[in-house]
Amino acid sequence: MSQVVNTLNGLLAWELTSIDQYTAHSEQYADWGFNKLYERISHEADDERGHAKLLIERILYLEGKPDMESRHALPNADNVPEMLSADLDLERKNATALKAAIELCEQHKDFVTRDMLVGILKDTEEDHAYWLRQQLGLINRLGLERYLQAMM
Amino acid sequence: MRGNSTVLAALNKILTRKLTTINQFFLHARMHKNWGFEQLNNKVYKASIDEMKHADKIIERILLLDGLPNLQELGKLYIGEEPGEMLKLDDKLQTEDINHIRQAIAVCESEHDFVSRKMLAEILEQQEEHQDWLDTQCSLIDTIGLENYLQQQL
Ligand SMILES: [Fe+2]
Ligand SMILES: [Fe+2]
Repeated sequence: MSQVVNTLNGLLAWELTSIDQYTAHSEQYADWGFNKLYERISHEADDERGHAKLLIERILYLEGKPDMESRHALPNADNVPEMLSADLDLERKNATALKAAIELCEQHKDFVTRDMLVGILKDTEEDHAYWLRQQLGLINRLGLERYLQAMM
Repeated sequence: MRGNSTVLAALNKILTRKLTTINQFFLHARMHKNWGFEQLNNKVYKASIDEMKHADKIIERILLLDGLPNLQELGKLYIGEEPGEMLKLDDKLQTEDINHIRQAIAVCESEHDFVSRKMLAEILEQQEEHQDWLDTQCSLIDTIGLENYLQQQL
């Protein structure tokens, strides 16, 4: 079981990093006056908090100790397209880590943890990463100024 | 009720066009959605459903006339690669549909199938409404520019 717990703690670091990054980015958007981006990204931070909660609960259930300290590095992004790209990059790395963890759970026949992780992966792929990819596509199609105007 | 074979052929031809349009609109709607143009998705998806309802009416009418509705045929789809082009191609298809429905109405009139004629006239009215919307969109793109237009379609 401890290998699963270690892996879950590794995933927890991604979720905690996501909470930090989305909170920082959403507040930055609010400060710049892009309220629609603020709303979407602060909601994303809530989703990540939900993921973190699931992982913490599961680690405790497996009698492990949740690692609340570890984080991955935050990006150096200081404009909207860079911030969106950095968020997409984070989601992709998170998804890769989730897939590896799902495989591990399968090997250990921990199907309940596996199932929970698939749920988180679905949010990561279909909600977070997909939306971010759409925004970068829209910036290409509309031009940055028009995109930003629509995000006020 | 035995239907006139000329009328049945005309109705089946319109049915083929409807099936074609359903597919084109449906794919275009979801392409708009994939790029984040929710407003275009909603409008074009609804148009695709309307086409499906038209196809349903035509199928029921053909069956009532003891004919065989042909659902095997599908015309050529005009699939665009970007939203502006897709709207133009939808407009082109819709305009062709309208011409074909008018011809089918004339067939019904000359064969004295006034009930089929009435059904097609009702379909035609909805077609013209959607074509009017498509014309407006193409004209907006010309007037305000594609990027400004798309900005309003998120
Ligand atoms: Fe997450
Ligand atoms: Fe996420």
